[in-house]
Amino acid sequence: MLLFLVRRLILVIPVIFGLLLLTFIMIRVVPTDPAAALAGENASAEQIAAIRAQFGFDQPVIVQFWTYLGQVVRGDFGISLYSNRPIGADILLRLPATLELTFVALLVAAFGGIAVGTLAAVWHNSWFDHLIRIFTVAGLALASFWLAIMLQLLFSMELGWLPLRGRLPSGMAPPAYITGLYLVDSLLTLDFRAFTTALGHLLLPALTLAFGGLATVARFTRSSLLETLQNDFVTYERAVGFPNHRIVLPYALRNSLVSPLNQIGLLFGGFISGAVVVEAIFDWPGLGSYLVGAILTADYKAILAVTLVVGLIYALVNIAVDLLQGIVDPRVGGDL
Amino acid sequence: MTSIAFNARLRGALLAGAGIALCAAALAPVQEVRAQGAPGELAWADTLPSGLDPHVVFDVPMQLYMLNVYDNLYRYQGNPPELVPWLAESHTMSEDGLTWTFTLREGITFHDGSDMTAEDVVYSFQRVLGLGRGPASAFLSYLQPENVTALDERTVEFVLDTPYAPFLSAIPLVSILNAGLMREHESDEDWGSAWLASNAAGSGAYAFDPASYIPRGNITVERFEDHFLGWAHNDDPIDIVRVPFIAENSTRILALLNGEVQATDSYLPSDQVERVEAADGVHVASDESMRVMVIRMNNGKAPFDNVNFRRCLSHAFNYEGFIDVILQGHAVRNPGPIPQTLWGAPADVPGYSYDLDKAREACDLARSEGAPVDRTVSIHTQSELDLTLQAAQVLQGDARQLGLNIEIVPDTWANMTGSMGSMESTPDMWIHWVSTYFVDPENWIGQMYDSQFHGTWKASSWYDNAEVDELLRTARTVTDEDTRRQAYEAASRIVIDEAADIWIYNTIQMRGMSDRIEGYEFSPVGSGAEFRTLSLTD
Repeated sequence: MLLFLVRRLILVIPVIFGLLLLTFIMIRVVPTDPAAALAGENASAEQIAAIRAQFGFDQPVIVQFWTYLGQVVRGDFGISLYSNRPIGADILLRLPATLELTFVALLVAAFGGIAVGTLAAVWHNSWFDHLIRIFTVAGLALASFWLAIMLQLLFSMELGWLPLRGRLPSGMAPPAYITGLYLVDSLLTLDFRAFTTALGHLLLPALTLAFGGLATVARFTRSSLLETLQNDFVTYERAVGFPNHRIVLPYALRNSLVSPLNQIGLLFGGFISGAVVVEAIFDWPGLGSYLVGAILTADYKAILAVTLVVGLIYALVNIAVDLLQGIVDPRVGGDL
Repeated sequence: MTSIAFNARLRGALLAGAGIALCAAALAPVQEVRAQGAPGELAWADTLPSGLDPHVVFDVPMQLYMLNVYDNLYRYQGNPPELVPWLAESHTMSEDGLTWTFTLREGITFHDGSDMTAEDVVYSFQRVLGLGRGPASAFLSYLQPENVTALDERTVEFVLDTPYAPFLSAIPLVSILNAGLMREHESDEDWGSAWLASNAAGSGAYAFDPASYIPRGNITVERFEDHFLGWAHNDDPIDIVRVPFIAENSTRILALLNGEVQATDSYLPSDQVERVEAADGVHVASDESMRVMVIRMNNGKAPFDNVNFRRCLSHAFNYEGFIDVILQGHAVRNPGPIPQTLWGAPADVPGYSYDLDKAREACDLARSEGAPVDRTVSIHTQSELDLTLQAAQVLQGDARQLGLNIEIVPDTWANMTGSMGSMESTPDMWIHWVSTYFVDPENWIGQMYDSQFHGTWKASSWYDNAEVDELLRTARTVTDEDTRRQAYEAASRIVIDEAADIWIYNTIQMRGMSDRIEGYEFSPVGSGAEFRTLSLTD
């Protein structure tokens, strides 16, 4: 298991290198000159050339990449072309918001999806199963921006049950900073008012983000569990008089989780990209909205840094999912 | 498979798992939801500048920040904007137009309590010129850093290389920084840029709060009790103003409707005006601005180098349809580059009308002159601004009736403006607005159509006409306003006749606003986002 972990962690390095190289080349081959935008209106060709030299835009792309790689290895993401602040600091400011949103969405999608999928399999061909089928098709088909706006209109504007936007109400101080995750920090500091307020703000964006993923996990769980329930060992357990909940929960469901777990790992990537839309609509101050701003202002070092961070998190989450599979399925675990 | 009977324990366990999220909702205290903002605080949901350095960042959102946190020697107030003495109580200009002397008011203090002197003004202008970014472009061609000097504690002298008539108009572009504070934070000859990216060194009516700053997320400012103008003009000023950046229009409007914010940005979409007007407790503040929407044409590239082809396209745009239907009448037709509300725009030039017969005639003429009229031309739009796409679609539809092929290319502002260093890399056509940075025709026609500015995004039409160059350079160097007006009017007539671009409308800026706000004063510079005059009723 430890050897597997080390091997997988080492393999992350070339993946991240490839990701950086690809993104760097894609950004720099676009026929645009950030120096012209930086110089401002009415700047002369000389001024633009001076800025180009100052920021190294006049160097060959490969030289620029090499310089950038040297910085990144030292943990320096560089300075934002626009805000003139260290990009690492800006990302650290926003990363917890995105992590909190995506992980809560992942939990909702995973537990919700497995629960719903299990119910649909157990009540196979019942009205509930048909209802879930409609729900899962809708989950895959609905555009997240539409769902987000509908949820806002219903829960915030009509019913007034949940907040419209943001992580906390305007002017409310966040809990004392420990991890940057408001739910965790408020629990660690026993600030329950902050916890419930932060949770209330998190619900709509997390549900929006989780909806499609929940449908996917439910479908995979349902079909996988249905297949397992037809195995000989289930027939045997039934024959010796095991009660149904003993059959489904510890045995059949555990045997059925390999495929949904794979999906959950893949979902995380979708959640990170989906967060761009969800964060924009719910005014969630995370990496997604930072990335959109960086793209619109051609702040290429900021784009690269976000790509790197997201790529790294994605790789780590998938390693974690592989390890989890080993725990759930000893046949896989033996190969680790 | 036979259906499995489901016992109560299993059902309970699974339903509990599926319902965790819904149960958690009940924990969220509902009284937090109908947020009205903290009492005495204003939430102003506007666009934010990409950075905080007023000598580096040069865009419309920066005006909101600099007009509140910083002061300038002179400032624009009201609509139409009038240039009024601000930090300076007066100025003089030598007869040759080269030497300008400004006298500072007494008793100006910065947010840290230190006094402002002429040295701070000198430092600020030298810093702008030294950095060579953003607002520097308005001064670099005729002002050397060593020619800005302090004659005494309250007197600053500028000696220009050549006369530059719009100099006073451009003065408000420069925010005056606290030189002592900046020097404490300089490193590697960076003029303190790294520090100023997260801090402020101003004297404005509101002081920046670094602790609550989230780049592209939120700016909070607090009222500065000792502002040099005092607060006698406002019985009940607002102590804290938060400016959250809400990217999504829909969310911004919902937040206004439910009272979370008291104002939106000033680009309220036309289709939302009715909705806001119909809602209780909010209204739309609409003001004619000086922001001209224009479809640029790369006059250096065939077929756009043919004047008749450009005239053809100018007659092919449905101006009235676009303004009446898409903008629902919330704009004013502007037939030339200078806003109609500003001097220098000829009042007797109607501009191009939507007339497909005239367009066809002009295109046939261009074709007969050998222009490759039938090649597919591209028009670049700004992905973040739907109106640019709609304008492109209006033109594309009518051009198709003339047998012309226009391809729409969604793009970003940064990409487009970054590609305009050469005629070849500049798009065939692109759409944008020219906003008010300083109130002088130079801000529009001067920087758009004088060939010396080729390679900048403002001059991206690559228009080249020696007579127009001469007129614009005359207008730049003579100080007599009547002579300047005549020169700008003459230049306007020529560029309109030669259809250098397609000028569509002058903007009516619309801001959704709570009825609780009082004292709102609009100016095209800053779009009414000066918080000094505002108060909030209960």
